Amino acid sequence: MDIQFKQVSYTYQPHTPFAYQAIRNINLSISSGEYIAIVGHTGSGKSTLLQHINGLLLPTDGEVQIGEYILSSNNKRQDLRKLREKVGIVFQYPEHQLFEETVEKDISFGPHNFGIPKDEISKRVLSSIEKVELQTNFLEKSPFELSGGQMRRVAIAGVLAMEPEVLILDEPTAGLDPKGQIDIMKMFYQLHQSKQMTTILVTHQMDHALKYADRIIVLANGEVYMEGNPEEIFSKTNQLQEVNLDVPEILTLIQDFNQRFNGTIRYQRQSIAELAKEIVEHFRENKRL
Amino acid sequence: MKSFMIIGQFVPGTSSLHKLDPRTKMVTIFSFVIIVFFANNVLSYGWLALFSLALILLSKIRIPYILKGITPVWFLIIFTFILHLFITREGPVLLEISTFKIYEGGVIRGLTISLRFLLLVLVTSLLTLTTSPMEITDAIEELFAPLKKIKVPVHELALMMSISLRFIPTLLEETEKISKAQASRGVDFRTGTLKDRMYAIVPLLVPLFISAFKRAEELAMAMEARGYNGSEGRTKLRELKLTNIDYIAILLYVIINIIFFTLRQ
Ligand SMILES: Nc1ncnc2c1ncn2[C@@H]1O[C@H](COP(=O)(O)OP(=O)(O)OP(=O)(O)O)[C@@H](O)[C@H]1O
Ligand SMILES: [Mg+2]
Repeated sequence: MDIQFKQVSYTYQPHTPFAYQAIRNINLSISSGEYIAIVGHTGSGKSTLLQHINGLLLPTDGEVQIGEYILSSNNKRQDLRKLREKVGIVFQYPEHQLFEETVEKDISFGPHNFGIPKDEISKRVLSSIEKVELQTNFLEKSPFELSGGQMRRVAIAGVLAMEPEVLILDEPTAGLDPKGQIDIMKMFYQLHQSKQMTTILVTHQMDHALKYADRIIVLANGEVYMEGNPEEIFSKTNQLQEVNLDVPEILTLIQDFNQRFNGTIRYQRQSIAELAKEIVEHFRENKRL
Repeated sequence: MKSFMIIGQFVPGTSSLHKLDPRTKMVTIFSFVIIVFFANNVLSYGWLALFSLALILLSKIRIPYILKGITPVWFLIIFTFILHLFITREGPVLLEISTFKIYEGGVIRGLTISLRFLLLVLVTSLLTLTTSPMEITDAIEELFAPLKKIKVPVHELALMMSISLRFIPTLLEETEKISKAQASRGVDFRTGTLKDRMYAIVPLLVPLFISAFKRAEELAMAMEARGYNGSEGRTKLRELKLTNIDYIAILLYVIINIIFFTLRQ
């Protein structure tokens, strides 16, 4: 499903002294199967933007088009359930949405609401708990006796079980341990690749954006500040600094290295270990000369 | 939902109403609530209406915002008016629609009672619109301080109140967040039969209660960790103090009341 934002603005609590325009004049298009990262300082409107994609918020101005759905301020009454089945959102701190007696019931909750048949649901529950790397014996436990990280995984499994076409991730790894972060990000990437799932990731971790995204959208003060592939975006160091964003360490390292040792290393999504090998290689070659 | 109800909502500002000591505001407004019931003719009602209007203007809060904010109360006011219109049978008949007769007394009583109601709601909502919850609880604690002598736990009650007030916006925010998360998982809070909608509330209430209990526990621990042990020997960060503006306000209020009592019959 292609997603298009046409001059979208959104104001919270309009016509009151508390009115606040969180995003303004957003134009975006996201094609089916893309992996997009949205970055921006806290309060720049990322979460607000995301909530337009499944109709939780309707634009106060402009329109959002998702597949055949058109959302704008003047079409309030339409059944959004079909849309929400196709667009799964993992919210910031999704563990707060758990409520069922058992993990299994909680993961089934979404598919059940969308009318998926029972035997299909149990298949999905099993496959999604596997994806988030929890053992199947967790299924019988109460979600409230789990640790924070485990609860997060259960909540993510609950969204994956909906098998959405578009997966929206609002800081899915905030507060997880480093290894857990890497595992979960890898899992999302595999899903994206194997199922051609359109993935939209909001993150404060620039190295995640660099590593996984096809395209990065930078928001600042509710507007699109920059847009482009990771190499382009992260080469504009000064512009990024202006909106309080950092360049991933690995890029700074490569840049400094090339400058200092006359290197020609290019960033190609390599891991730290691979980069180390390239550096060793570089010194070897230079010695020979 | 949020944008509709302003009752109990605080709009920060720097108007002279905002600057008044909360005790002054509370005492005058509660006495006003009683005084409204003494009005008995056009002049005295007019005078009170004028006074309320002046207060609204002083608060610098936009009038449409206030009028829209008390929408739920409007229904009650109109309902009261219509009820009195049809029930009261005094004075000459003004209008006759088949079997219904509308009497002059009905119109007058309907008008006065709704006006009374409107004035009460307007002025009391001005109190909460211009006074932060913190100030209100501070004022309550001060005003009821004499009750400490008869072992009423005034400080603890005020603290409970300020904590509850403090967490209302948090709870609303949390409600919104969770209901969005569940809506994304296919819960429909808006359509369906009454039974469906009641079931739809469970996935909202359970997480809400759990997080509220967690929060309460954490707050209690944090307070203890910082050495809180009740009112004993506790000093205040914000001392309430009457200033010149309060004395002027009280004086004006007394004058307004003297005029009021000469206007009424
Ligand atoms: N329900 C709401 N009512 C009023 N204002 C809101 C509401 N939700 C968000 N805002 C405001 O809108 C702005 C954008 O919020 P948003 O949550 O989209 O930011 P964000 O980019 O996701 O930030 P973060 O990185 O902290 O999650 C913020 O300034 C916030 O205060
Ligand atoms: Mg956010």
